[in-house]
Amino acid sequence: MAGDPEAVAKAFTDHFYSTFDTARANLAGLYQDQSMLTFEGQKFQGTQAIMQKLTSLPFQQCKHHISSLDAQPSLSGGVLVFVTGQLLPEGETNPLKFSQTFHLAPVGGSFVVTNDLFRLNYA
Amino acid sequence: MALPGQAQDPNVPSFKLVLVGDGGTGKTTFVKRHLTGEFEKKYEPTIGVEVHPLDFTTNRGKIRFYCWDTAGQEKFGGLRDGYYIHGQCAIIMFDVTSRLTYKNVPTWHRDLCRVCENIPIVLCGNKVDVKNRQVKPKQVTFHRKKNLQYHEISAKSNYNYEKPFLYLARKLVGDPNLHFVEQVALAPPEVQIDLQQQQEYEKQLQEAANMPLPDGDDDDIAE
Repeated sequence: MAGDPEAVAKAFTDHFYSTFDTARANLAGLYQDQSMLTFEGQKFQGTQAIMQKLTSLPFQQCKHHISSLDAQPSLSGGVLVFVTGQLLPEGETNPLKFSQTFHLAPVGGSFVVTNDLFRLNYA
Repeated sequence: MALPGQAQDPNVPSFKLVLVGDGGTGKTTFVKRHLTGEFEKKYEPTIGVEVHPLDFTTNRGKIRFYCWDTAGQEKFGGLRDGYYIHGQCAIIMFDVTSRLTYKNVPTWHRDLCRVCENIPIVLCGNKVDVKNRQVKPKQVTFHRKKNLQYHEISAKSNYNYEKPFLYLARKLVGDPNLHFVEQVALAPPEVQIDLQQQQEYEKQLQEAANMPLPDGDDDDIAE
């Protein structure tokens, strides 16, 4: 049971984005075999496929800036997280706007990402 | 197509140039070499694009390319239609030191042609200054299958910088004899190119052009 969805969402996104920005390979522990990622419309399922996508992005470092963070408890005892913000991959000068939604499910006193949907926002 | 607020001269013919290719192939480096374009560029965050007005002076007067460059969206996936719409000419760039970027050229070409039908396109193999190139001249065959122009370039050394623009200008104006009459101001070269080596590459390209096209898929690279 997620005690305070906002607190869970904040702790999760702090960890997720700082890891994404510096050592994406370490995100593997957050996913499991049922996890799904939809990344700019491309779908991936399972830790291996998801990590294959995330680690093959053609940059190492990245910077995320979170503009808004919303959270709700889900019926399964998890947390639904909706993020908007800006990101700047290494080598770029203009930040890109993005939105990302996560569903976190409680597993053994912690949480795993069961659903992850990512989009850049531009016309 | 200029962005709002970008100065336009109605007497100068201008064209939207769409620049595509994998992230890291040198598209931004290439477009930034043109100094007046770099000075007058404008970023539009809602479409995530930086537009560089690139002027050239021809024997028939001035011509301007509004060169669209992404903010790196292609590093995440394909580009939205809004980037391609109203494109009048295009450059597809790959990196001769990375086979994967050449393998992805057919995908970029397909995405581009889905929105922009029948526009002149130049395929550019960038970074030919790098010693250890992975895509050899005879392996570059995609342009022959699709009737594109191909140029080897080195953005960092300015090698062949004007070639893609000259081809596009000739096609857009409809004058195969059009030529540039002024040197365009470019950023000073950051690396030197081995011209002898490059002449050898150009020779290999010529020879390859006379060979029959290899069978098989577009994305095959002969080993």
